[in-house]
Amino acid sequence: MSEKLYAWLLRLYPSRFREDYGEEALRLFRDRARDERGFFPRLRLWLDLFFDLAISIPHEYLHAPQVAPLVPRRLHGFPALFVLENASPRPGALAIGGLLSLVALTSCWASLSSIRGRETPSASQFAGVPDGYKSGHSESRPAAPSAAASDASRASTQPGAFDPAQRKRIVDSAIANLKEHYVDRDAAQKMADALAAHEKRGDYDAIADPAAFAALMTQQMREVAPDRHLTFDYFQEPLPPQPSAQTAAVSPQYREAMKQQNCTFEKVELLPLNIGYFKLNSFPDPEVCRVAAMAAMTYINHADAVIFDLRDNRGGSPEMVQLIGAYRFDHPEYWYNPRENTTEQSWTRSPVPGSELADKPVFVLTSTRTSSGAEQFSYDLKMLKRATLIGETTAGAAHSGVFHRLDDHFGMGIPEVKAINPYSTNDWAETGVKPDIKLSATNALDAALKLARASREEIAAARGSYHLLLKPSSCEEAIN
Amino acid sequence: MPKRTLDPLPSAAFQILLALVGEDLHGYAIMRQVAEQTGNRIRLGPGTLYSSIRSLLENGLIEELDSQEDTGSGERRRYYRLSSTGRKLARAEAQRLAEVLRVARAKKILRGRYV
Repeated sequence: MSEKLYAWLLRLYPSRFREDYGEEALRLFRDRARDERGFFPRLRLWLDLFFDLAISIPHEYLHAPQVAPLVPRRLHGFPALFVLENASPRPGALAIGGLLSLVALTSCWASLSSIRGRETPSASQFAGVPDGYKSGHSESRPAAPSAAASDASRASTQPGAFDPAQRKRIVDSAIANLKEHYVDRDAAQKMADALAAHEKRGDYDAIADPAAFAALMTQQMREVAPDRHLTFDYFQEPLPPQPSAQTAAVSPQYREAMKQQNCTFEKVELLPLNIGYFKLNSFPDPEVCRVAAMAAMTYINHADAVIFDLRDNRGGSPEMVQLIGAYRFDHPEYWYNPRENTTEQSWTRSPVPGSELADKPVFVLTSTRTSSGAEQFSYDLKMLKRATLIGETTAGAAHSGVFHRLDDHFGMGIPEVKAINPYSTNDWAETGVKPDIKLSATNALDAALKLARASREEIAAARGSYHLLLKPSSCEEAIN
Repeated sequence: MPKRTLDPLPSAAFQILLALVGEDLHGYAIMRQVAEQTGNRIRLGPGTLYSSIRSLLENGLIEELDSQEDTGSGERRRYYRLSSTGRKLARAEAQRLAEVLRVARAKKILRGRYV
């Protein structure tokens, strides 16, 4: 038994060693086993052998003489490989190796899939609504509980397979949702009648492209009610299933994702000359990220000027938008949110205790990617003259309508409230927020830094003057 | 791939050379002789023993004899003999160690009756 075990262990040596000395090594073992009987001598023998294996096997592989220099060897039917062994692998060894490789590759694939599944670039994905919509809504409502809607939900519209029967179901579902949810009941009825008439007349018959159909539906609804927040959308990728009522709460996946991504707060730092810089790539739910947000704001609390970098910010929670916006005011200020009715919640919780940021110059960096909640932040601060916007015109995604899923590929954004916009008849829906200083997004930070430095000098010169917000004209002078 | 070298001479290789001074031995006998001359401190395992033997053969420090019958067991075994080069190297190594010993004595770091 012992000899068999040692013979098996000998197979761990390179084949050349086994050929030359395998028999001798086994004989030596046999001799020692014969002479060293009893428990302790035998124990010592095995300890010696294991120690010997541990030392000599690596040594043999490192120093084994090569018959030929180490060059790739071409095995029959296999690619060229560097091999330590001179002998060709046995077929059994190749089979086991292949099996192990397959298992390893499958495990890698499975791990990657699970990682991909956990990636959470947008908060909206957790709510089962398309990208961006979550930022425009506190929740997503189920589609109208009409027969037409449930029929449409059951039908799965595949891209490229857009047939008239499905289209009819979708139009009926859209009509049912409009009547049930649109804020203006009269307008809803008129839109419903118009869509039904178009459908009856066969105005959609010639349209094979679902995206074009969606665009036409949006246009026709707005012909009746000129509301930019009203949208009819087509999604090439299948929409996630309709969320149940319970999913309004923060999901464990979202919580974990925010933990892993530091609440999407990419950078919070104090730059030279005491300029605070905060790059946030979304406005995460305060239920998870309130402490992180307050910590970030506290860190830059003593800065002489602050730069909010929203160039990669796709929006998020309106509560977080308001929470961070509140630092800019020394009194409660009306905070326009196109998706909420005006209530006492519409005023910021200002002043934020201990905050020294209310009267500091603030610069907001924008890009064409800046959307939804990030646009609300930019728009409100701009309208209240509490920030200088630098960069590109934003995406124009207000997402103010509550999203309603019609089927796997179609959905609607339907405004259910009428918010008071004290600044203008239109907000940033579809037009975007225009920056005070128009620059390419890549140059925005440099420009903001120059302006922030200039503003510090202005502060020093004014010795405590409160008029610190730079006007665009003076900003441009400072850049040039 | 590093080529195996006997400079400096590994302890196991030196002990094998010493074991072969005066008589030709097979593997197991070398192992026992080494154990004996080191007070059982070094018990060469098969891997270390034959790995060292191969290095010594490649460097011409020992020679392999034609298989002979072991007088004890009657089995045919491979015997090894010290070559003249091996003898010179063993002597040089012993002298080097003696020189080390001399210095150690002069520095009075050795204590006890073995000094």
